[in-house]
Amino acid sequence: MIFEQLAGNLVQGLVLGAVYGMATMGLSLIFGVLQIVNVGHGAFIMVGAFTALMMFQALGIPPVIALPAALILGMLLGMVIYYAAVKPLVSPSGSGIRKPSGRDAGIAVAIFISLMVVMRFLSGYYKLHTAFSIFVGLLFLYGLLLYVYGGRRQEKAAELATLLVTFAFGVILEEFVKQLFTSEARGYNWDIGKLDIGITVLPYTKLLAALGSVSIAVILYLWFNKTRAGMAMRSVVEDSVGARVCGVNVDWQYALSFSLGIGLTVTSGVLLTMFIPVGINPYMGGPYTLKAFVIAVLGGLASPYGAFFGGLVFGLIENGSYTLFAVIPGVEPFALTRFFSFLILLVILLIRPTGLLRAK
Amino acid sequence: MRRAQRYYPIIPVLVAYAMLLGYGLLFPGKWQLVAQLAFYCTLGQAFNLFMGMTGYVDFGYVAFIGIGTYGMAISIYYLYDKGLGLFIVVIGFILAAIFSTLLSLAVGAVALRLRGAYFAIATIGVNEGFRYLIEGARIWNGADGIIFSLHLKKAVGRETMMVLSTFWADVLVFTVAIAAAVLTLVFMRNKVGYALMALRMDEDAAKVMGINVTKYKIIAFITSATLAGLLGAAAWALKLTYIYPVDAFAIHYTVEAIIIVLLGGAGTLMGPIVGGLIYGVAKYFLAIVLPGFQLLIFAPIIITIIVIFPEGTVGILKKRVMGTALQKYII
Repeated sequence: MIFEQLAGNLVQGLVLGAVYGMATMGLSLIFGVLQIVNVGHGAFIMVGAFTALMMFQALGIPPVIALPAALILGMLLGMVIYYAAVKPLVSPSGSGIRKPSGRDAGIAVAIFISLMVVMRFLSGYYKLHTAFSIFVGLLFLYGLLLYVYGGRRQEKAAELATLLVTFAFGVILEEFVKQLFTSEARGYNWDIGKLDIGITVLPYTKLLAALGSVSIAVILYLWFNKTRAGMAMRSVVEDSVGARVCGVNVDWQYALSFSLGIGLTVTSGVLLTMFIPVGINPYMGGPYTLKAFVIAVLGGLASPYGAFFGGLVFGLIENGSYTLFAVIPGVEPFALTRFFSFLILLVILLIRPTGLLRAK
Repeated sequence: MRRAQRYYPIIPVLVAYAMLLGYGLLFPGKWQLVAQLAFYCTLGQAFNLFMGMTGYVDFGYVAFIGIGTYGMAISIYYLYDKGLGLFIVVIGFILAAIFSTLLSLAVGAVALRLRGAYFAIATIGVNEGFRYLIEGARIWNGADGIIFSLHLKKAVGRETMMVLSTFWADVLVFTVAIAAAVLTLVFMRNKVGYALMALRMDEDAAKVMGINVTKYKIIAFITSATLAGLLGAAAWALKLTYIYPVDAFAIHYTVEAIIIVLLGGAGTLMGPIVGGLIYGVAKYFLAIVLPGFQLLIFAPIIITIIVIFPEGTVGILKKRVMGTALQKYII
């Protein structure tokens, strides 16, 4: 009885693991190229989940078709974040404090006025809270300060700074989505039938999510190994100075890989909702951040394919341990499974921080 | 004379806390606000002891506050009928300190071997992991938490309990704050501080120079965690008289600690006070004017500080007073 249940859950775990692996590839890609840990990882998954939800509920578009939309949205988000806050930290210009000229001041005033007009226009259609105006004002102020003081920094910032910036962006996304959609948990129901394989029943949506994850991983593999653009990105990881000498625009590769990493993460959010279409709320990302760290560390933090295989392993571990904990009386298996995954993280970090799998 | 001078920077800190306390005593209606501000200053002061001095971010810091709260809760919940009177509060503080020290030893033993990004990854799960351990294995009532207001009332009497949770708890928070500030300065002016400064600048170089970096990191980590445990026992357990794992291990408080330290200036002595006051007052008014939007407003501010003004308020002030008579008071 228990073995049958275990086997069924392990099959489920393998399917889920494929999605987990896909959800971690973005994290590993960003760390591999830029040496930045995206602490706000879960928030980007949440953005993907809301994209799928909104596409499905408002427009009736099935999540599979929402995948490219999520990728584009994520890449745009990644580009904006990279140029707004990550680039000044990883490749500082060091040109000193800029004295704004009259023309600069004119442009700033023009941007400010147009922002105000847009906000006024929007508030005619939607009920916008005053805080949104303050938020937009703060972003404007940030841009202004970045323009004037942006070149003040002379050296590369410590890791601390990039950790905190990605963390803060995660908080912004969570809070922003909370204000737009409130913090209640939502879900959608996309039923396209089930597949019964004897020991367990797999809905086609889950299989489709796993299939989507595997094919994205394969496409990424081919892109990295067979195309010039992919090889250029890999060359930056191998030797950024050498790549620069050979005419690779390293700065653009940084921007591209950051945005691709975020794009993949947002896309994986869509796939995750195909697997678990309920409980979509602004703070759903937290557990996924932790899971993604465990998976990334399992597969070697800097390797996207390692992350994919790490995801498969993690899916098996998670579902397997859940089934076994459920047998023990007097404990809550769900919470213990989460604790167990944290324990795995610590143990791996302790014995082999470079990853167990070390896939290239 | 010169030895005493090295400890002058504690004067503005003490003055600031005395003014805050005095304000609260003179205007009893404002005591709630003062207590809140004191909590934020203390949180920043204790967090700064590790993050500011080593340059490592501990994303699981709130776990130490939570476990400290549990220390006090357990003492009151299980010992209330032993006729110990107010002594159970003392035992509670001792338990809080022991629990948080033990947890920080366990976490530090793993996490402090790791550097930079790996350290952050190891700590980000500490609060969640610990919460799920308590909930999953049903330790200390599991997810149902411990509600001990009746036990406290039985142990010390109704009157004492009221005074304890509305006045003395906050005074104890002040005490923790001052202890944290004094410890920070003592560390800064002794070998620990110099070693940590070298570590912050360049960990490899520090190692090559023969500094046992792990030892000093552990010292700072445990001190910071123990102070957090005491803060939890005073500010949460005694004031609220209940505890649920969901609240006690919410990452939200780590975010607040990071904001406070960065606002004031990481690694400075005055920073957490300035940051705590700015954050506390701003949050107080934002909660009235724009409830629920605090984090949406504060997150862009954190980014602004990290990218553009990494020194924080006191860091900038420190540069300004360099070479003037004020120099020896502000670090």
